[in-house]
Order: sequence, then structure tokens, then C-alpha cells
Amino acid sequence: MKYLLMLPLMFGLSCSSLKTNQTGLSSINLSVKEVKLDNGMTALIVPDHKLPIFSLYIFYKVGGKNEVPGITGASHFLEHMMFKGAKKFGKNTIDFIIEGSGGSTNAYTTADQTVYYENLPTPQLEQMLEIEADRMENLLLDKDDFEKERAVVLEERKMRYENSPRGQLYLGLMNHLFEGTPYGRSVIGDIPDLKSVTREQIYDYFKKFYAPNNAVIVIAGDVDSADAAKYVKKYFGGIKSSPGVSEAHASLKESDFVPALKKDKVVKLKGESPNPIFMMGYPTYKAGDVRGYPLDILSSIIGAGKSSSLVNDYILTKKPVATSIYAAHQSLDMSGFFFVGGELVQGVSLDNFKEDLKKKLVSYCETEITEKNIQKVKNNYQTDLYESLDTNAGMARFLGDRQLVFGDWKTYKEELEQYEKVTVNDVKQACLELSKIPSVFISVWNQHK
Amino acid sequence: MKYNLIAASLIFSTSVLAEDNFLSSVKTFTMNDYEVVWLQDKKFPAFNASIYFNDGALRDAVSGLTQVTFDQLSSGTSKETEKQIAEFFDFYGASINHSVTHEYSVFNIKGLTKDITPVVGKVCELFNDATYPKFELDSYVARKKSNLKNMVTSHSQLADRIFRKLSLAGTPFGTDTDGTLISLDKISSSALKERLTGLSKARKVIFLSGPSEAKEVVDVISKKCQWTQETELAANKVNKPQEQSAIYLVPVPGANQAQIRIGRYLTKQEVEGKDDQFQFLSGFLGGGFTSKLIQELRVKRGLTYSAGAYVSMQRDYGRAGVVTFSKSETASEVVSLVRNILSDMENPAKISEEEFKHQQNHQIGGHAFEFEKNAALLARMINYRHQNKDFSLMLAFPDKVKAMTPQALSHSTSEVYPWERMTVVIVGDKSLVQSLSKVRPVKIIDYKDYL
Repeated sequence: MKYLLMLPLMFGLSCSSLKTNQTGLSSINLSVKEVKLDNGMTALIVPDHKLPIFSLYIFYKVGGKNEVPGITGASHFLEHMMFKGAKKFGKNTIDFIIEGSGGSTNAYTTADQTVYYENLPTPQLEQMLEIEADRMENLLLDKDDFEKERAVVLEERKMRYENSPRGQLYLGLMNHLFEGTPYGRSVIGDIPDLKSVTREQIYDYFKKFYAPNNAVIVIAGDVDSADAAKYVKKYFGGIKSSPGVSEAHASLKESDFVPALKKDKVVKLKGESPNPIFMMGYPTYKAGDVRGYPLDILSSIIGAGKSSSLVNDYILTKKPVATSIYAAHQSLDMSGFFFVGGELVQGVSLDNFKEDLKKKLVSYCETEITEKNIQKVKNNYQTDLYESLDTNAGMARFLGDRQLVFGDWKTYKEELEQYEKVTVNDVKQACLELSKIPSVFISVWNQHK
Repeated sequence: MKYNLIAASLIFSTSVLAEDNFLSSVKTFTMNDYEVVWLQDKKFPAFNASIYFNDGALRDAVSGLTQVTFDQLSSGTSKETEKQIAEFFDFYGASINHSVTHEYSVFNIKGLTKDITPVVGKVCELFNDATYPKFELDSYVARKKSNLKNMVTSHSQLADRIFRKLSLAGTPFGTDTDGTLISLDKISSSALKERLTGLSKARKVIFLSGPSEAKEVVDVISKKCQWTQETELAANKVNKPQEQSAIYLVPVPGANQAQIRIGRYLTKQEVEGKDDQFQFLSGFLGGGFTSKLIQELRVKRGLTYSAGAYVSMQRDYGRAGVVTFSKSETASEVVSLVRNILSDMENPAKISEEEFKHQQNHQIGGHAFEFEKNAALLARMINYRHQNKDFSLMLAFPDKVKAMTPQALSHSTSEVYPWERMTVVIVGDKSLVQSLSKVRPVKIIDYKDYL
């Protein structure tokens, strides 16, 4: 991404076309105009007239998982180049046009998707759609700009990984947990690939994946639905779909993303952290798998908030073992992982901590999964949901993620209902199953060899 | 003390929809002796409450005292343990947090409107009865010190901390609001209780957002919180600008990039009445992808990934700065370039009409976004209220920008960024000393002295 790499969001919503009451998660109802073009593109439009502004998000179903060895980082490099100009509007004009009207723009790349977004005053809607269509169809990929941007991307990589113990830790976890699968590679790219990738390789990648049949547009804010639909058809309706994109997605088999982890793995990385930082990860399920919902709730019970089990046991004690600790469940398009992470205080033995943590995780299956704790998590999801729905951008992200991953933005209803349905037994079962599968425990510390 | 903001907030100079909405959605009134500012929003059955305390870290007898008083507010009362209190708020999906500046403090509460009575009532219990148990305090101090020691892994955070301290050296605002390795050990339970008593007596303003039920927050506070409003934090001005002649190099292990901070503090006289000019200047210099710094450093030369600038104002002082980084080999080049960019901007002939107009349009058009997110808007309104600035000034910005000229921008640049007064801090590899010496004499400092 242009400024930062982001993890996919578990939640994100917003809108005036939103109706809710106080009865729980699944009470939220969104009103969205859906436009389907003949070339395969979907546009979602959500009017909200609170302020004379809107957010436009365009999601492309391409990310690190679509790359092959030799061109790792191509999705992210291309994301940078998308700001360098296209045929109709010319070289290096996009930022000036957007910011010149008071807007802002950025983008991010994950293992599964690349997303461009703009926040703009209302009158800019038509022009912004024209710009997005222009760069989807006719990106310049200027040679000089390409080389200059290569230096920027390499510097970004240093900032995120080589100069960041936490980046080093996360990358290490993905490398080892998903070793041998596309999720085991770095989204920002390996340094040799970033140095050697050519403009032609990136152009081919662009032509394959940047097409209307691989994109979702979401417009949320002070727009007229009919006008917005008209502009989407006007500027994107004539763009040809990519014949290769379905084949490219079909070539990715779920089995290729299953980690080959057969036994517990311990990885120690030397890094510039005086306090040991760690992550322990377990492979889980892809987005939408019903087995993932109890794991989401489990992660929140044990590792989200000051009253969570891990915080109680490792931080709020007379001799704290950790300065921070958390748990989360991350669903990806083709797989997923559950993880616990944190930072230990100096003098704590990493090996002893790891053993204790594993024992505690097993014991939590019996002691922490209660009706009250599950209700607490659901209450928190509700307030988090309201907060993430508070902006046009939040709404656009929420809908776009679901449309891209599940092919239908309305699946949010099922998601929220699934959370409502989760029982104590479901979470206990998920917890026990998790404790039986192999994990990767990775740490970064300046005392490691 | 009463403040009549209603009349003041009726004076607006523009008629953009964002501003009309703001005008109609903000209600200011006095309720149960509290000044209340309510931002109406019916979208969700949820509320935000931000309680402004006219009291901050300037009163700290020991560095970090006010911050720790708030940090540990929920560490225990005579009736409940830290765990029970945490469980209470988490169960309701409610959250509490706070921010402490030298001049004022803010306590934030967020939750569902149906839970206002128990949630805000619990907050009052904390303020009335926090005991600051020694067991929890010791644990907190141990964690906090461990975090500080590990700050060397975050070069950006370390650069911010050291830059702040050096650029504000010799002023009352140079102390660390969150404490130091030494000061944290000096903080006791009794000192915290005493500080909390002081905060309870400070003048307060209650800022709310949410539907009409949000106003119940004031009722609960009036009935349950044993607060008075007797004290005001006196002005504490800095009058003499500082001269700087060196670059401070902070060597850190394993650095292959250099974090760069350039800036200075501004006296009250320097900032007073110039908010709009300085806001425009910081946007022109470092706000957005088309800003001067990004264009010169990243787009034209590929020297950095990010660059920004700010001019921030409190009631009695201000701060201005440039924030960027680069690979080690080009750190001195970046510092020199920033110096040249600032120097060029002091000459209006070197500001093109095109880039000036572009920035005017950018900042005028982007104004409405400042009203989108309630929590951010409340924070901004609190800062305005603290400075006794009328909320209507938030709306006047587009008209002020329309009237600006390149000459005025140049003048602002020379006022805010005179090179000889700038503190320059570089966090990076110690070998940078040679190249940086060509820009300015270099003083090497140990980061451990700033933790």
C-alpha cells in the first residue's frame, strides 16, 4: 500500500441507511443499492447525507497470495504505481486532482486484496469514478517512475520489517506457520524480488488482475444513488473484463493453503528488542467457515480487553510477566490463524513462559468459557460495530470486504446471526480442538543468537 | 463559573452544509452547575462523554503523577478490585480512557445509552473512592518501566520523545507527562490520592455526543461524583524563544534508517491569533501527498516514504515540527533539503501560484471532513474550549484560507521555522556523525538519559 499495510478488518460499517435498535448484533439492517455491470463489476451505493462528502472504495481481488516466487511484492508495488498516472489524466496527476479538491486518498495491500480509497467532497464523484476507470484500464507504468518507486518500496520494507522487531515477528510467524503456502510469503515482497522485478512483469500482472470482473466499488456518503449508478455505468461499463482472472483464481486450490505443520515449532529470531516479544500461532479456517465464529469469541474472551484471561494472569499480577498480551483470530480468504502475542518483561524466561502459556490455554477451555463471558464479548462486538460504522469509509470497507470475499455484501446478516448463536459448548469445543493442534511459537529478542 | 457559548456559536461566516449541520447539532448549556457541550447524533443508541479537567501535568510534583493518577484510577476502590472493575466495564461493552497534557486532562467514557446510569455511576465511584493499592501500583510501575526500556525498538517513538524533551528544554512543558524510569519509582499511593483530590476540585466541562439520552450523563455525574469546581490551572507562559546550533544525534543499535525531527516550541505571543495561518502553513508543508515535503523528498527524489509537518497550539505555547525519515546514507541530505525548502518558502517569489492555489483548494475542500467523526470533533472542541476560543472559529477557516496570500505564507514560514532556532534530532546509526557534521555541529546523546 501507499502508506501502510493493513490486516483485513473483522468489522467495519457506517451509514444513514442503517437501522438499528438495542436488541443485539443482528438487529442492524443496511439499505444498499447494488449495481451489476455486464462486464462483471459490482458497485454498492449507500447514501448518507449528514455531510457534503463521500468515500469511494475500489477493491481488487488480488494480493500477496496471487504472486509467485520471483515476483513477490508485485501486488504492493503495483499499488504504488497506480498513483503514478494513467492515459486520460496523465502522469502524476491523481494526487493533485484529489487533494486539489479537498480530498484524500490512499490504498492498502493484504495477502488477499488490494484496496484504493478516496474521501472527497460531494461534487467530485463523477470525476473520481472517471479517474478510477482510467487507471483500471490504461495505467501508464512510466519507466522512470517505476525505478524511483522501487527505492521507495525498498525503504518501506525496511521500515516495516528490518527496522521493526514487531514487523519481523509477524513476518516470521507467517513464514513458519504457512511455510510452503502463498500465505507464507511477505506481502511487501522479498528484497531480491523487489530489486529484480521488471516493469513488464508488473504490467502483465496488472493486465490480468485489474479488470471489472475482479473489482468491487463501494460509494458511501452524500451521493444520489441514481446518479452514482449512472456514472459507474458510464465510466466502467465499457471496460473489458479480463479473460485470465477466473482461471487465475481457480488455480488457487484451498489445499495449497493448508499449513504442513505436523508438530510444534519454536523459532527464535535475533532482533533489536531488549524485551522478548512473541507470537504463538495455530492454523485455523478460512473466512466464512462456521468453525471460525467460536474461535473469534474465544480469542476475545481470553485476549481482548483489560478483563481478559491473559491480561489477568500475566499482567495484573504482583510480578507481571508481560507488559502486553493479546489474542486474536484472523480469517483469510483461503485459510486462517489463531494467535496469542505480547511482550514479556525483562528477566522472564521465554521457555518457561511458553510452557506455562500452553497449559493456561488448555485450562481456559474449562474455566473461562462461561455464559457471562460470551455475553460480554457480544456486547463489545456491538459497541465496536457502532464505532466502525460511524464514517462513510467504515461503511464502505465493511460492505466491500464482504462483497469481495463472499460475493454478497448481505452475508453480514448471517455473520452477525452466527455470532448471536454461538454457545458455551461451541466455544469450549473450539478451544479444546485448538489446544490439540500443532503451533508455531516465535520470538524476537536481542539476546537470541 | 458560567460560560455563554451559545451566543458566540451563532456567529458563522460560511454556509457550507457541514457547517450548517455543525451549527444545528451543537448545543451548549449549563446543567446542574456544569457547563455542557452536546453534539447531537441520533445514528446509534450509543454515547461518548469527554470530561475536560482544567488541570494537567503542569501541577506534577513528580513527573508523570497526573498521568498515573488517571492510568491507575481503575486499579481498585475500597469495595472492588482492579479485576472486578475491568470486568464491569468490559461486560457493558463500555470503555474508559483519558489523555493528559501539561495544561489540561480529559477523561473519556464510551458506551450504549441504555447503560449510562451504571457505567457513569461506576466512573464516579472510581473518582470518589480510588485507593491506588500498592500491589497494583507496583505491578503497573514495573510494566511501565519495562515498556520505557524497550522503547529503543521503536525508533520513531524514541525520536518523538527525545525531540519533545530537547525542543522544550528550559520551559515548564519539557517534562514527560507519562513519567520517567526515575520518577515512576517516586510515585506513591498517597501522592496519587492527593492528586485525585486536586483533580476533583478542578473546573470541568462535560462534552457529549449521542442522542438526547446522552444528557443523562450529566445527571449521573451531578448525583454521584463528589466533584467541586474550585480551581483553575494558572497560565504558565514561555516568553523567550530558544536558540539552537547543533544537531542531536541519538545512536541506536541496528539502525539502517534515520528518524528525523526538526522543529521548535513557539511562545504564546508567537502563536496568539495565528491559528489559521499556521494551520495553512503546516498543511502546505506537510499535509497530504501533494504537500511540499512529500513532493520534494519522496516524489522527486525517492528519499523517504513519509514526511509531515505540524504546528500545534495549546493555551500558553505551541509546537512546530517536521517529521520524516530516510535511509542512513541520505539522512544529512534530507536535513539539508528540509532547511532549503523552508528557506525557499520564506521567499514568496519561490511559491508558485499553482501550488498555492492547489493548497487553498485542498484545505478549503477538506474542511468538511473535520466534522465527520464525533470523537475527533469532540477532542477538537475541547482544545478550542481550553483556549477560550469560540467554536465559530472552527467554521471560519475556509474563508480565512480564501483570503490568504503567498506573502502571508512566506511570512508565517519565517515566523515558525527560522532555521537558527530549530532543534534537530536524528535517531539512527552512530556513523551518521560525519555526514551530519557538514550540516551543523553534532552533539551525540545517549537515549537512556531520556527514558
